[in-house]
Amino acid sequence: MAAMTQVSMKKKRTLGEWARSRDGQKVFVMVAFMIIPLVLLFVFTYLPFAEMFGFSFYNMKYIGERKFVGLKNYIRVFQRDDCFSALKNSLYYMGGSVVQLALALYLATVLSFKVKGGSIFKGFMFFPYLINGIAVGFIFKFFYTRGFVFDTVLQWFGFELENLPYWLKDQSINNISLVGTSVWRYFGQNMVLFIGAIMSVDSELYEAAMLDGANRFQQFMYIILPSIKTIIVLNVILSITGSLSAFEPPYVITSGANGTGTYFVIMHEIAHTQQKVGVASAMAIILLMIIFAATILQKLFFKYVFRSAEDEDLNATARRDKKLAKLAARKAGR
Amino acid sequence: MKLRKMLALTLATAMTLSLVACGGSAETTETTTETATETKTEAEAEVKEEAPAAEAEAEAPAGVPTYTQITLGEDYTDLTAEIKWIHHKTDREEDGTIAAMVAEFNKVYPNITVTTEGVTDYAEDALLRLSTGDWGDIMFIPAVDKAELANYFQPFDTLENMSTAINFADAWEFGGTSYGVPYMANAQGVLYNKAVFEAAGITELPTTPDEFLAALQAIKDNTDAIPLYTNYAAGWTMGAWDAYIGTVSEGDNTYMNQKFVHDAAPFDDPGDGTGIYNLYKILYDAVANGLIEDDYTTTDWEGCKGMINRGEIGTMVLGSWAFAQMVEAGENGDDIGYMPFPMTVNGTQYVAAGGDYNFAINVNSSDDNKTAAMVFVKWMTEESGWCYNEGGYTVAKGGQNPDMYAAFDGCEVLADMPAIAGEETFLNDVNAESELSFNAGGNAKVQRIVEAAATGSESYDDIMADWTAKWNDAQDYLGIEAN
Repeated sequence: MAAMTQVSMKKKRTLGEWARSRDGQKVFVMVAFMIIPLVLLFVFTYLPFAEMFGFSFYNMKYIGERKFVGLKNYIRVFQRDDCFSALKNSLYYMGGSVVQLALALYLATVLSFKVKGGSIFKGFMFFPYLINGIAVGFIFKFFYTRGFVFDTVLQWFGFELENLPYWLKDQSINNISLVGTSVWRYFGQNMVLFIGAIMSVDSELYEAAMLDGANRFQQFMYIILPSIKTIIVLNVILSITGSLSAFEPPYVITSGANGTGTYFVIMHEIAHTQQKVGVASAMAIILLMIIFAATILQKLFFKYVFRSAEDEDLNATARRDKKLAKLAARKAGR
Repeated sequence: MKLRKMLALTLATAMTLSLVACGGSAETTETTTETATETKTEAEAEVKEEAPAAEAEAEAPAGVPTYTQITLGEDYTDLTAEIKWIHHKTDREEDGTIAAMVAEFNKVYPNITVTTEGVTDYAEDALLRLSTGDWGDIMFIPAVDKAELANYFQPFDTLENMSTAINFADAWEFGGTSYGVPYMANAQGVLYNKAVFEAAGITELPTTPDEFLAALQAIKDNTDAIPLYTNYAAGWTMGAWDAYIGTVSEGDNTYMNQKFVHDAAPFDDPGDGTGIYNLYKILYDAVANGLIEDDYTTTDWEGCKGMINRGEIGTMVLGSWAFAQMVEAGENGDDIGYMPFPMTVNGTQYVAAGGDYNFAINVNSSDDNKTAAMVFVKWMTEESGWCYNEGGYTVAKGGQNPDMYAAFDGCEVLADMPAIAGEETFLNDVNAESELSFNAGGNAKVQRIVEAAATGSESYDDIMADWTAKWNDAQDYLGIEAN
């Protein structure tokens, strides 16, 4: 007994000593700083996620009893035809994100060189991103209404109202109309990110390239693109995962009706109107898996694409070296 | 690389979380359930004990009084309490109607402070707030299972007693106890513009689907008005078509809550212009014949009120609650009329009437708050005149009915009967399982009819066959007998 107290006393003393020491203080400070973000992350991200993962095995509503059903919810998701046909709508959004990134990259490149009124353009193009998504939805609801803003503008350019389609009613184009709103909203943000990345490219490289006789396009291909590939890959991944989980435009503008319901809108309908919380949670988990798969595939793809880009870059350097060597040889020979 | 992986992972997780945020409180619900059940049995016991006692001493009984025990203007006039009421009438909150009624209430009950909160998107928000328990003392009952009522709400009285005081007392009844009092009642008919009908040369109100479609065609041919405005984009306005099932479509007020779930072929054509089949067929045919607005995907609910007022719309299929709003929306309020739904079963036109949203009192509030809430609800029902002003069918027994119901003379006005004891949850279950959700937010299925008719993607019989299949699957899955 006495021995034990002694041991613990000893331990405590050493612990106290350690706590007062510089090393101990360092650990305390680190823990203290990390605990806040970690707790927030855990409470608002991982804990609810775990709860939802649990829900996906139950037959349940928001209120009332739950019944454990194992994997039945997952099986039911795969048996439904509306869930996966909704993913087809995501293809529109993926197509839109390609357009969006290309547009953003083009404008970013143009604007990163000296352009008159560049800041104003940047401001105007970034502005839509600052508007709340729901507000954007309402704006475009009126924008696309028959005979309202969009039709009026097109009529200024000589289009006849009878020849114009119904932007939201016609099922062959209503998804494209919706994707348009999301491109409009997000391309400015992508552009600003790209501009930021391009700014970090060493300007001496441009000068050197100009001396080598590279035109603007070659500068873009061999200097800008390789230098900002990280940010491009990131934006592509975000856009693709974003298009898999598109929600606001179809929910606000068409409430998912008329063939515009994306996976998220269907999930919302099942969770909140039909109150099949278990099935909706299973849908969420399946979507997470799909996003994982899409992200991994994209990473593999970019690894391949950018490796070859670097190779080309290396070749270019080699060619330039050869040319320089030739010039030097000619000079020496003279 | 690692950072990117982490970022992608976190993002993906965060995206899937939007769902969970709503479901996180289910745990607490369970615990409340247990305690609430106890409270319920206690409360019931109290009610039983007090009922005879109340006759002996009519003055303020101890504990929480029941609805019928309160005499307005005499009991509890010195009670001090602060109660909170959440409701869906945001328009009435904004235009001061509710504040005016509360001020009027405070003339009689000066010490009861009533705070009100109008909630947009009430049907969903109220349900979520109900599960968290953070909503105040009085609310309008959202779509909860009837078996759950006792866990959340204070009983008003036994159904028997309530039926003597108000109409539609059985809307939120479970096990012989009444948990809800409707703030107003609606009759289900069709809004129309009298001037448009006159200009189109329609002299007699249509009483069958065929006559109605002929009237719509006449409006299209003879006027510039939109014959039938669907309000497709708003969604819930499409779900409003469900309200005619049962009493109107079958001429049977036991159909909706008792027979519907046991019907193996509810969507078959009975061949005589009645039934659910012919109810939705009106919509399909109207769309297919171009008798609706040009672009249904961009309809505007707020805008349609002024349009029907100005005579730009012929008809709209909505409950009588909408009548007052259409009248107020412009200068031609006198042109707005209300008629019974154009369907005649065996020579009689039936009209379904029923309570709108129901007041309910939080079972977990303090006794004083419950009493104050009980007094307030009774005052709102009997003294405020709200129901009459909104053009509602009277809730208080023997109350006055507005003039708009003149066209309903000669029609059979019935309220849907409640479900058979022991089968209270059946309709909810089949609704949720089949995802057709009749009278429970199933807007998408009606929107589908409009889409199919406009694009020709599906025939009407295909849709009905699909509904039948879903309905039967749900009956099978839940083991509900169907014939």
